[in-house]
Amino acid sequence: MSSAGRYEMLFTPLELGPVLVKNRSVFSAHLTNYAEDGMPSAQHVAYYEARARGGAGLIITEEHSTHPTDWPYEKLIHGFNPAVLPGYRAITDAVHRHGTPIFAQINHNGGQASGLYSRLAVWAPSPVADPLFREVPKAVDLAEIAEIVESYADVAARCIEGGFDGVELQCSHSSIVRGFLSPATNKRTDAYGGSLENRARLLMEIIEAVRSAIGPGVALGVRLCGDELIDGGTTLDEAVAVAIMVEATGRVDYINTSIGVATASLFMVEASMAVKPGYSLFIPSAIRAEVDLPVVAVGRFKDPLQADRALTEGHCDLVGMVRAQIADPDFMIKARSEHADDIRLCLSCNQECVGRMGLNRWLGCIENPRTGRESEPVALRPGPPRDVLVVGAGPAGLQAALAAARHGHRVSVVEASDEPGGQVRLAARVPGRAEFGDLVRNQLSELALLGVTVKTGTWVDATYVADHAPDVVVVATGSTPASPWWAPGEPDPTHPLLCDVRHVLDGTASPSGRVLVVDEMGFHHATSVAEVLADRGCDVEVASPSLVVGQDLGITLDMEQWWIRASAKGITQRSSALVTGLIPGGVSLQNVLTGEASEAFYDAVVLAIPADAADGLFHELVATGVEAHRVGDALAPRRAHSAVLDGEHVGLAL
Amino acid sequence: MVLTDPLGLGLATLPSRVVFGPHATNLGRRRGFSAAHATYYARRAEGGAGLIVTETASVHESDWPTECSPLAERSGEGWALIADACHRAGSVVIASLGHAGSQGSSSYSQGPLWAPSRVPEVNSHEVPLSIGDAEVNALIAGFRSAAQLAREAGLDGVEINAGQSSLLRQFASGLTNQRHDRYGEDRMLLTRQVIEAVREEIGDAIVGLRFCADELAPWAGITPETAVSLSTEFAETVDYLAVVRGSIYSAAATQPDLHEAPGFNIGITRSISEALKAVRGAAAPAVCLQGSIVDPTMAEQQVLEGVCDLVEMTRAQIADPDLVAKVRRGDASRVRPCLLCNQRCVVSDPRNPIVSCVVNPSAGHETADAHHDPDRSVAHVDAVPALVIGGGVAGMEAARSLARRGHDTRLVEASGRLGGTLLDAMEIPGRSRLGLLLGWLAAELDHEGVTVEMNRHIGVGDLEAFNGPVVAAIGAMDAPTTLRDGDDGSVVMLSAADVIAGRSSVADGEGAVVILDPIGGPIGVGVAEILAGDGPVALVTPDLIVGSQLAMSGDLVAANARLAGRGVEIVAHSEVVAVRNGAATIQDRYTGAMREIQTRGIVDAGHRLPRTTDLAEAEGLVFVGDAVAPRSIYEAILEGRRVSSDAVTQHHALEALR
Repeated sequence: MSSAGRYEMLFTPLELGPVLVKNRSVFSAHLTNYAEDGMPSAQHVAYYEARARGGAGLIITEEHSTHPTDWPYEKLIHGFNPAVLPGYRAITDAVHRHGTPIFAQINHNGGQASGLYSRLAVWAPSPVADPLFREVPKAVDLAEIAEIVESYADVAARCIEGGFDGVELQCSHSSIVRGFLSPATNKRTDAYGGSLENRARLLMEIIEAVRSAIGPGVALGVRLCGDELIDGGTTLDEAVAVAIMVEATGRVDYINTSIGVATASLFMVEASMAVKPGYSLFIPSAIRAEVDLPVVAVGRFKDPLQADRALTEGHCDLVGMVRAQIADPDFMIKARSEHADDIRLCLSCNQECVGRMGLNRWLGCIENPRTGRESEPVALRPGPPRDVLVVGAGPAGLQAALAAARHGHRVSVVEASDEPGGQVRLAARVPGRAEFGDLVRNQLSELALLGVTVKTGTWVDATYVADHAPDVVVVATGSTPASPWWAPGEPDPTHPLLCDVRHVLDGTASPSGRVLVVDEMGFHHATSVAEVLADRGCDVEVASPSLVVGQDLGITLDMEQWWIRASAKGITQRSSALVTGLIPGGVSLQNVLTGEASEAFYDAVVLAIPADAADGLFHELVATGVEAHRVGDALAPRRAHSAVLDGEHVGLAL
Repeated sequence: MVLTDPLGLGLATLPSRVVFGPHATNLGRRRGFSAAHATYYARRAEGGAGLIVTETASVHESDWPTECSPLAERSGEGWALIADACHRAGSVVIASLGHAGSQGSSSYSQGPLWAPSRVPEVNSHEVPLSIGDAEVNALIAGFRSAAQLAREAGLDGVEINAGQSSLLRQFASGLTNQRHDRYGEDRMLLTRQVIEAVREEIGDAIVGLRFCADELAPWAGITPETAVSLSTEFAETVDYLAVVRGSIYSAAATQPDLHEAPGFNIGITRSISEALKAVRGAAAPAVCLQGSIVDPTMAEQQVLEGVCDLVEMTRAQIADPDLVAKVRRGDASRVRPCLLCNQRCVVSDPRNPIVSCVVNPSAGHETADAHHDPDRSVAHVDAVPALVIGGGVAGMEAARSLARRGHDTRLVEASGRLGGTLLDAMEIPGRSRLGLLLGWLAAELDHEGVTVEMNRHIGVGDLEAFNGPVVAAIGAMDAPTTLRDGDDGSVVMLSAADVIAGRSSVADGEGAVVILDPIGGPIGVGVAEILAGDGPVALVTPDLIVGSQLAMSGDLVAANARLAGRGVEIVAHSEVVAVRNGAATIQDRYTGAMREIQTRGIVDAGHRLPRTTDLAEAEGLVFVGDAVAPRSIYEAILEGRRVSSDAVTQHHALEALR
């Protein structure tokens, strides 16, 4: 057992009631949107199996709905439908092949839902509309409460029949049980409302019914919210009190934790890199101090050292690591074999995992094109190894090099600037965005393992290609800042200084005084640079023709934090504002809603606008008959995930 | 009526001139059409639709605009089901084929978007790939093979989509085509090549073109003036042109909601008809009028006046699949009216809502709802006396549905008017059209012989003597306004419903009227529009924008523009937490910062509560609509329908127990 090496606590086995877990990492419950028409899919099977194979100690699946009144998002698993059973068995068989236990999370989302899919009224303790779904629920009567309890027991029994080793009750961030526990949503005056004992009555009844249904041979866990972060909601004291009540039933084997409410304070449930790692550790720590049951911690656990320390310091008994294992399914194997540096670290960027959940799309990962695609074979082009020249070491070029090298091609990467990384390197220079740089760090570290070197400071042109005569060229030369339509031609000295966000980040431009940042990208570009400039003492305004500045920041749960920081830094925001031209000392603007024209005065204007593809080399090569492929911004300037996907697709097809 | 007369189109004969046009349904699975699609279209075919155009299928795998959108190469089987089902009912049915180009999504395809030039779509901001000859050729080949597949599946032809959301329009428009090659010099070239290829492939079968005649962006886009001459380029090659408007800057303009008067394309459509006839006379392609045409009388008039040969009435037939049949038998007044609310039928949304209709919730759910769709199942079994309490939308639909099943139905309303909450909702500026539903329901109650009793309150005591199913559709009531940090009573608090209906008004005085809008739907915006004329108005929303829930109906930007134009102050991401000394204390949801606004009145546009009642004590009573939980017309109608079978079943079950 001492083979655990550096992370001794992380690799110390633990008993969760009747279930032995071989290490303390939990791939805990999270939405995947892999279900189809309420049924578990092949996508689920391969996804969970990959994490089992990669060494996860325990897997807890996404929630299974207990009742037809609960259908808040399209791709929810309908645990209440007996037809799920074959899907359950497929998942549990696959995970058990690797000796890994797997639990099913069961839930009824209560009022945190709408009738959009179910075409039924939603059920909740009281007619208090959820702030996200905005639908007034039906306050359940006693017969309906009994129906809910029975539905939990039925679905729990079905899960065990389907091969799960345990069941977890989600009572934490989106649940009718949470709804009853929380004074913010439970306004009842009967035996299920008022005192904490009354508000916890539904939970106690469900625990009793579920344990009776599943028997003693499998595990039962309860996931509680430690702080809802909403007015009048559950706070830590009550959460600890409920944990004590749960333990006192003698029917439960572990307690899992969470922070925030999925629909009111989601940005803290699945925090982005703007929130520090371990931010919610105070919750398991407080609960563990009062109960003897094993307690699970969650919240931005990114590397094995951090997880091991939380365990060693006694904050928790298990560590939930979801995004870490989404990015790298082999996280635990690599940690155990003393190759922690090889782990593809999660960036906590939330772009393709969390960000796709809110948009009803299947879960992926910005840096792992296989996430969500584990059930599909890798489409390799058959043929002998080839000499591949990759021009450009941004995320697209590096991914193309990785995909090609993994499959036996002889790859060389040449980069014009002095460092690899492309725009990712710039993006990571912004305060609070450093973790984004791990995207390139991870790619470079895997390339090093594959023996691929990156030659920097070398400009590649057609002559270089002719001299080196590779079999194929991947052009990943990125993009260059564009000129806006409203400022053509040579700069006028009476006009404000005009530059691109990239010029600010790479130091070639240093705007000062009153600065306007023009946001036509709707993501981090404008807001990041606004913060950099504000930190340098500039008086900054961000303008966007959209209804909201940085409109997509909400998708990655970065909007709240952006507003808080912008407000603290004195950055102002002007929406529905289209810049239409430069004037002496400022810009002309048009309000896109009213059509009203105006002028505003700035010392500098910084542009976050779509870039121009740097595709000259590509066209030159194609014209001379060289086999060349474009990837990333050289194809069309887009976000990092598109660059990674292009690189992967082209690298595999060589 | 000429509208319901047959029309020859190519070699086919349409049984009527009414078109059920292509629209997203989200009924598809795995990029193909489903059995649900066939049922959905067949229902309109049975109701008399002349031409049905199935939802646009992508002709190339690079195009995957929404998750459920079909891919032509996977559509053969589904098209065959649809062709069979619609042909049995006598309709002509063709496939819409297209490619959304830069207006698509890379989320599903995981590859770059295709476009003529690297011009990002305005909402996604995603820079597309400027396609080269290889892609152009693949696109043309895609149209060709998709058309062939559609014919093999038994469809009567195809419609090529060069309308609002299409790569062909992106090529045709100076807004998005900045190329310097031959496709830039001749922007219609690609569309002509596609038509040529399709025509060559499917011969005399129907080839239609959905053609954008006004991009509402005159600085570089297609204008009505240029469109007329462009349209004549197709005079020899297509069987019909469907004239539409809209571009990347005006996505909502193609199928606008009730704020826009129907018939906005009549002028341009007439010009195109005339131009085509000038070129080809009687051999000119047919012209199809589109654009919120939901009233059969208006449709008939346009055909008579020569504006068009065909009329696309898509939303109208979602609302009433039997539109043509009713018009044909002289019952045009009994056509259930489309409200143009766009609440359930516009479904290009990542949540993949299934196409449906607030006045006809069985739309899109034809199979699931078969047993309680009052317009289909009129089984007269075990007729019993039935009582419906409450004459709002839910109660009226419940009474109508019970009566259609043969039950002796009585509807009792406590007030002096039928309509319930809808009477208030139709008073919101720009939403008077909602009232059409009330007129229709009232007339139908009359037709079905429902006894309607007004000004009669029913309490639990009144039910003892009644032996039959009882439906409680007693609606909602205003919720008390509660503020987190208290209210000293210094400011008058009004309900949105009272302000909208004119039952109460804000007194003159110092300060702004503050509107509390935690919902972001039409109510808060409507109250602001009503009050904006009389002094300052501040709308407080928890969201970053006002009217966030109006995105689906297409009114989001327009609503923001209306309020901005009328000087309404938007207090975003904020909440009113207290009222003290004539001022509202407002807290920023993100930063926690507090500010005060001097206030002469607060209007609560928040959620309502089910009406409290002693009827809850009665045994066997079934509650429907807002009385269960205050929601929309959709749920009111849906539950009103369901109860017509459920309440009777429950009544018999209780009888059996006794």
